[in-house]
Amino acid sequence: MSRIKQLSIFVENKPGQITDVTTLLSKNGLSIKSINLVDSSDFGLLRVIVDDVQKAKEVLDDNGISLKITDVFAVSIDDHVGSFNEVVLALSTNNINVEYTYTVSNSHNASFIFKVNSGKFNEAIAILQEKNIKVINEV
Amino acid sequence: MVWNKIETSRREDIEALQLKRLQDTVERVYSLTPFYTEKFNEMNLKPEDIKTLDDVKKLPFTTKKDLRAHYPFGLFTVPMSEVVRVHSSSGTTGKPTVVGYTKSDMDVWDEVMCRVFTMAGATSEDIIHNGYGYGLFTGGLGFHNGAEKVGATIIPASGGMTDRQLMLMKDFGATILAATPTFSLHMAEVAKKAGANYLKDYKLKAGIFGAEPTSAGLKKEVSEAWGIDYHEVYGLSEIIGPGVACSCKESELLHVFEDHFLFEIIDSKTGEAVPEGERGELVITSLTKQALPLLRYRTGDITSITKEPCKCGRTMLRMESIVGRADDMLIISGVNVYPSQIEHVIANTEGVTLNYQIIVDKKGHLDKLEIHVEVSDDIMSDSLGEMAIIKRNIQSALLNNLYINANVTLVQPRSIARSEGKAVRIIDKRKDK
Repeated sequence: MSRIKQLSIFVENKPGQITDVTTLLSKNGLSIKSINLVDSSDFGLLRVIVDDVQKAKEVLDDNGISLKITDVFAVSIDDHVGSFNEVVLALSTNNINVEYTYTVSNSHNASFIFKVNSGKFNEAIAILQEKNIKVINEV
Repeated sequence: MVWNKIETSRREDIEALQLKRLQDTVERVYSLTPFYTEKFNEMNLKPEDIKTLDDVKKLPFTTKKDLRAHYPFGLFTVPMSEVVRVHSSSGTTGKPTVVGYTKSDMDVWDEVMCRVFTMAGATSEDIIHNGYGYGLFTGGLGFHNGAEKVGATIIPASGGMTDRQLMLMKDFGATILAATPTFSLHMAEVAKKAGANYLKDYKLKAGIFGAEPTSAGLKKEVSEAWGIDYHEVYGLSEIIGPGVACSCKESELLHVFEDHFLFEIIDSKTGEAVPEGERGELVITSLTKQALPLLRYRTGDITSITKEPCKCGRTMLRMESIVGRADDMLIISGVNVYPSQIEHVIANTEGVTLNYQIIVDKKGHLDKLEIHVEVSDDIMSDSLGEMAIIKRNIQSALLNNLYINANVTLVQPRSIARSEGKAVRIIDKRKDK
């Protein structure tokens, strides 16, 4: 199962907004595997991967925080020149558009996270596996 | 200087003329407008029941809702072949409030605007810079036609583009400025950047300001910033547009052009008249309007009137500046808008019920509208772009439907303050300043 459930959390662009989210997660014993913030001029999206996505959703919902669960996949970082390029090249030659990507590195893993159009998700995984690119099940 | 000697007539003559015109108007709407015929019949009222001016109290009220219900031309008393002009303001359901003018209505409008310009000292020697918006809004064209009739030179600058307007005012040697007070002050602030003695570049001697409620403090600031006399004009499109009343050099109260507009001040809850000098809701009956004569139109504006004569010699009654609203209408940079209209536009833009809050504030002297929209599950997205589009869609829908510029901010769910479980929909921070 290569689908990773990522939480996209709405944060206003003001001090304390990120802490509110991370405090809630840690208080409820949820471990953050990766965290990535993107922002526009007046709001941001915090993209988080946790160990228990359902529990995280309940906790955040209960506290009135808007979120969306999105499927992403992770590719293990193979430390050689061009490894990232191989992934995006394989996807683009098959006309699959990468909506966004970021890197994760924690104590036991280093990987690239990719978000593609949800309709192309399975196709993307199949293409990468065919190329012997290592799609991993958790980060 | 007085444009028309009727402005200084004896009160009994004015009142006799008003009664005659009121009776004609009542007769006219009763026989020509099914809306009024029905109302009269329901109330068991006949035009001949109007024997004195005080009998105006017997007539039915007309509201903005009635105008909307008969959109677009349902209350017109003349065929469209006699209508030479239409104006409109924004409406709740995207449908605006429509008003029409015959040739004779246009003549009346020119006449009352000539009185306004003359109060401000305008003659054929003057150059009038018109910074009111041209278009469906009555401000721009109302001032424009009257200025031509006076014989002055009119510069149809319209709204916006401050730097360009200042250049035109300077280069063309404008002597009279016509614009909203907040925009006029904003222009003065920009002009000041040229240096402390910026006024030497301008030849302004007077200004005619209106279309928004104005505090005494703001009037003083505008007057001082430009070093000019401040004349306040009052009007509304339903009645004619600008030119219902205006202040002269001698007093801050506005002279009402009573030969065309019959004023009453009522308690907006009971509908009963309040004693002269006390504040209440202004109700106006058109006395000469041909295309769209309205009986007892509820303006929603709170003011008071006095019959005390003015030092300038004019005898028509005077009203004070509008001090507030009887309803929740907002006036954003001269545009009238109700919170319910904003709600309607927001709901229709995304097709989902959104929780929102309207915050009216001032940026410098310009009114600013901020709308907070809570990010519900319905609009939550994993894409920044998609969320930015929601914000832009709401902004452009408000501009297109209501002619207002608003800044939309997406906020956390439940971040909008609730009072007894109900979201506080509107916060007007201007009142605290």
